[in-house]
Amino acid sequence: MLKPLSKDGWNYETAAHLLNRAGFGGTPDEIARLTDLGHDAALSSLLDYEKIPNPTPDPVWAVPDLGRAERLKAIQAMAPEAKRQAQQAEQRAQNQHIIELRGWWLDRMARGPRPFQEKMVLFWHGHFATSYDKVRDAYFMWRQNELFRRLATDYWLRLITEAGKDPAMLIWLDQAQSHKEHPNENYAREVMELFSLGEGHYTEKDVTEGARALTGWSLDRQTEQFIYRPFFHDNDDKIFLGHTGNLNGDDMMAQIVRQPQAAVFITGKLWNFFAGQPPADDLNKALADAFIENARCFKPFLRVMFSSEEFYSDAIIRNQVKSPVQWLVGTARMLQCDLPPGFISAAIIRSLGQDLFAPPNVKGWDGGITWITTNTLLERYNDAATLVQGTTQQLTASDFALKPGGAGGAVLEKAAQRVHIGGVDVSKILTPDERDDKNKLVASLQHRLLQSTFSNEQDKALSDFLDSRPTLNDADIRNVVRLVMSTPDYQVT
Amino acid sequence: MKNEITLQTRREFLRTTVLGSALSWTVPTFLADTFAALHGEAADSATQIVTGKDATILVVLQMAGGNDGLNTVVPYSNDYYHNARPRIGQTADKILKLNGDIGFHGAMTGFKNLFDDGNLAVVQGVGYPNPNRSHFRSTEIWQTASDSDVIEKYGWLGRYFDNACAGADPTVGVVIGRQLPESFFAKTPQGICFDNPQNYRFMSPEHPQPGQTDTTEAAYEKLNELEMSSPLPDGGPSMTPDDNSGGSIGSLPAGMPMQGGKAVDFIERTALDAQVSSEEVRTIAARVQNQAVYPNSPFANSLKLVAKLIGGGLPTRIYYVSQGGYDTHTNQVATQQRLLQDLGDSMKAFVDDMRAQGNMQRVLVMTFSEFGRRVNENANGGTDHGAAAPMFIVGNKVRAGLLGRYPSLAPQDLFEGDIKYNVDFRQVYAGVLEDWLKTKSAPILGKQFDPLHVV
Repeated sequence: MLKPLSKDGWNYETAAHLLNRAGFGGTPDEIARLTDLGHDAALSSLLDYEKIPNPTPDPVWAVPDLGRAERLKAIQAMAPEAKRQAQQAEQRAQNQHIIELRGWWLDRMARGPRPFQEKMVLFWHGHFATSYDKVRDAYFMWRQNELFRRLATDYWLRLITEAGKDPAMLIWLDQAQSHKEHPNENYAREVMELFSLGEGHYTEKDVTEGARALTGWSLDRQTEQFIYRPFFHDNDDKIFLGHTGNLNGDDMMAQIVRQPQAAVFITGKLWNFFAGQPPADDLNKALADAFIENARCFKPFLRVMFSSEEFYSDAIIRNQVKSPVQWLVGTARMLQCDLPPGFISAAIIRSLGQDLFAPPNVKGWDGGITWITTNTLLERYNDAATLVQGTTQQLTASDFALKPGGAGGAVLEKAAQRVHIGGVDVSKILTPDERDDKNKLVASLQHRLLQSTFSNEQDKALSDFLDSRPTLNDADIRNVVRLVMSTPDYQVT
Repeated sequence: MKNEITLQTRREFLRTTVLGSALSWTVPTFLADTFAALHGEAADSATQIVTGKDATILVVLQMAGGNDGLNTVVPYSNDYYHNARPRIGQTADKILKLNGDIGFHGAMTGFKNLFDDGNLAVVQGVGYPNPNRSHFRSTEIWQTASDSDVIEKYGWLGRYFDNACAGADPTVGVVIGRQLPESFFAKTPQGICFDNPQNYRFMSPEHPQPGQTDTTEAAYEKLNELEMSSPLPDGGPSMTPDDNSGGSIGSLPAGMPMQGGKAVDFIERTALDAQVSSEEVRTIAARVQNQAVYPNSPFANSLKLVAKLIGGGLPTRIYYVSQGGYDTHTNQVATQQRLLQDLGDSMKAFVDDMRAQGNMQRVLVMTFSEFGRRVNENANGGTDHGAAAPMFIVGNKVRAGLLGRYPSLAPQDLFEGDIKYNVDFRQVYAGVLEDWLKTKSAPILGKQFDPLHVV
C-alpha cells in the first residue's frame, strides 16, 4: 500500500521536486505558486493537461505523403547515377525534417503549457525506443511522437496495441515484413522483453508462437497506414503464455497485459523514470497493485504515485541524474532563456548522449549515472557556457578565416549566421539588490538552480572568484551562473 | 618544454583563431570541430614518439549487435550451410579461403592479409553455457564474464583494474566514445571516456598572461574537488558472494555500481577523473600523427585515436572501441559487406600504424560480439539472434591461425537451431589476462578457466 504524503509534507521543497520530475522544473516564482495551490490542486494543474489549450502548430510537412511509395518505386527503376541522386534528394528532405522535428519537440518541452504531457511523451519514446536511423521517415517519427502524446496517460492495452501497429514501429522491428512462412521474431521478442514483461518472464517458445500470432500486422506503404494482411496470417493454433487458440496480434497484446508481471514491469519502469531509481520489490508490488486497481490506466495510477509519501522521501529528492533533455530544457526553464536554435539544441543533447528520435538501440537510454562519463560531464560544463553566455554578436566568416579568402569561407559564414544564441538575461533572474551583494547573489543562484546549497568549500570558490572582480558586469554574472552549472551538484535533480 | 609551447599555441589557436573574437568563445564545441576540420592547419604538426613505456596493451573491440559468425568465417564447402542459407549464403567463389573448408567473407581482405602475415588468430565457436539471445543480457554476460544466470555488478576489465592496477590513475583504461561499457564498471578507478581529445577540457573565457591565474578555471577546479566526506571504497577483489547477488542490484539504476551512495558522489568522482586526465590526454594526442591510411569511418577514427594515444605514450593498458550495426534481421548481405570491409581495412591500417610507430609488439587486439546468429536465414534476407561465433585476436606475437574447432552444423548437433560453442569466452579472457597482461585470471574471472593460449 502506498502512503499518501501528509499535509505537512507539502512545501516548497516537495513542490519543486514534483515540478522537476513531473515536468522540467521552473522558476522560484512558479514553484511558489505550485506550493500555494496545495498538493492536490498542484497535481491537477500538471496532470489534467487536457484542460490547458495547446496552441503549438504541427510541422508544415507533417502530413501523409501519398505519392512517396510510387516515387520511391520509380526511383528504383532509374539508371544507377540518376537513381543515386534521386535517392539522395529524398533522404536529404527527410533528414532536414527530422532536424526540425527535434527542435519542434524540444520547444514544446521548454515553452509549452503542458510539461507533464511532454515528460510522458519522453518516457514513451525511451520505452518504445524507435530510431529514425532505420525508419528513415520523419513523418512516421512525428506520427509516433503524436501517438505517445495522444495516449500519454491512457490505458496500457490501448497504448501497447497501437504502439505495435504504428508505422515507425512496424518498420523498426521488422513486423511489416513478417509472413506466416517465415515469421520474423524481432517484434515478438522485444515487445515482451523490453516493452511489457522483462527478460525471464516468457519462454523462447512464447517468442516463436507470438511471432506467428503477429503475422498479418503490416504496413501499407501506399496509404502510409497500418494494414492487416489476412494472407500473411498464420491461422493455426498457437500456445502463447499458456493461452491456446488461433491467436492474432490483438489477442497476444491482451494476453500480455493481463499478466501480473506486466503491471510490475511497467510500473517499475515508470517509477525508475520519475523517482530516479528502480523500486524495491515490495514498493514495486504496491505500485503494480495500484495500477491494476486503476484499471491499468496511467493517469489515475500516476496521480496515486505522485501523491505518495514514498515519492518524496529523502533518498529520492535531488538524487536523480538529469538526462540531457532534462538538463537542457530545465536550464532554459529555470533561467528563463530561450533554447538555442533547434539544430544546435539537438546537437547539444546528442553530444551529451541523448539523440532524440535516435536512441542507441531498442532498449532506449540506460539513464541514471550512465549519462555521466568524463566526456559528457566536461561537455555539460562547456555547453553550460554556450547556453548562459550566448553568442552576443553574430559571427561572420572573418571570425573563422585563417587565410583571407581561404576555402570554406562561404560555408562558414552560412553556418555562423545560424549560430546566434541569446544567452541569459541577468535582469530577469536577479533583483538589483541581489546583483549588488555578492552573498545574496550566490544564495539566489543556488536557490534557483540547485534548490539546495553548496558546501562551504564550494561557496568559498565562488566568492573568491567574485572577489577577483572589482565590479561585476553582466558577462561576469553569467560566468558565475555557468560556474554554478559546472558542478556535480547541478547534474542532479 | 617543447610540448608546453605546442599546447599553448594550440590553445591560442582554438580560442582566438578558430573561434574568432573573445565574445564568441561559447560557440558549441561540435561546431568548432567542424570549423577546425575545414582547415588543414588545425592538424597536429609536432611529431614526437614516446616509446619509453614497454608494458603490453590490450585493445578490446566490440562488434555490437550480434555479428553473424557463419557469414564471417564461412564454411563454404559445407552443404548444411548452403541448405540453411539459400539466399544469403556466401558461395565459394567469393570466399577468401583459409583452407579447403572455410574462409573469410569476401570483404575481409584486411583480415586475410593479417592472417597470411601470421598476425591474426581466429578462435572458432566461442560462446558460453545456456546462451541468452537478448542483446542486452548477452552483452552484459560478455562484459561482466558472469555465468548466464548470475548478475555481476562489475565488469571484467573493471575487476582487472581493481585487482592488478595499483593506484587510482583514471587513465588506466580509455574508452573511445561517450558511454562507458559495462566491462569497465569498477570500484576504483573506472577509466575515462572521450571521443575528441581537443574538446576534452573545461573551456574558459579568460586569456591569462603567463604567470597569471585563469580565475574561471581556478573556480571550476575548486568547485569540483572531491569532498572526502564520502570516502572511496577500498579496491579489493569484488567477487564476493555479496557482490554477486542480484538482490543488491535491485536498488541501483541500470545495474551500475553506485556503492549504495548518492548519484552526486559518483559524479564527483567522475569530475575529478576528468580534471586530472584532461590535460594529459590532450597533450599526448597532439604528439604524434597517424602513419597509415585509414578508411573514412567513425570506427576507423576510433582506431586512429587509439594509435595516437599509444604513440604519444599514454600509460593506458586497456583501450576500448566499438563498431555497431551487426543486428542484421533484414537485408544482411549489403550491411555485413560494408561493416566487415570497414572492420578489416581499419584493423589493417591500425596494424600498419603500430608497426610504423614501432609499437606493434606491445599491442593485442581482441574482438567480441554478444552472440552469433541463427543457422537458418529468415524470410527477410537476414538472420535472427543465435549463439556461438568466432572471436579474432590480432598481434605480432599472436598464436596465428585457426584455434579451436569449427562447430558442427549438422542438425543433430544444433541446439534450438543454433550452433553450440566449443570454447567458453572466459577461456579466451583467461588466456589474454595470463599470457598477455601477465596477471592471474582467477581473481578477475571468479574462478579458474582453462586458458586458451592466444600468444
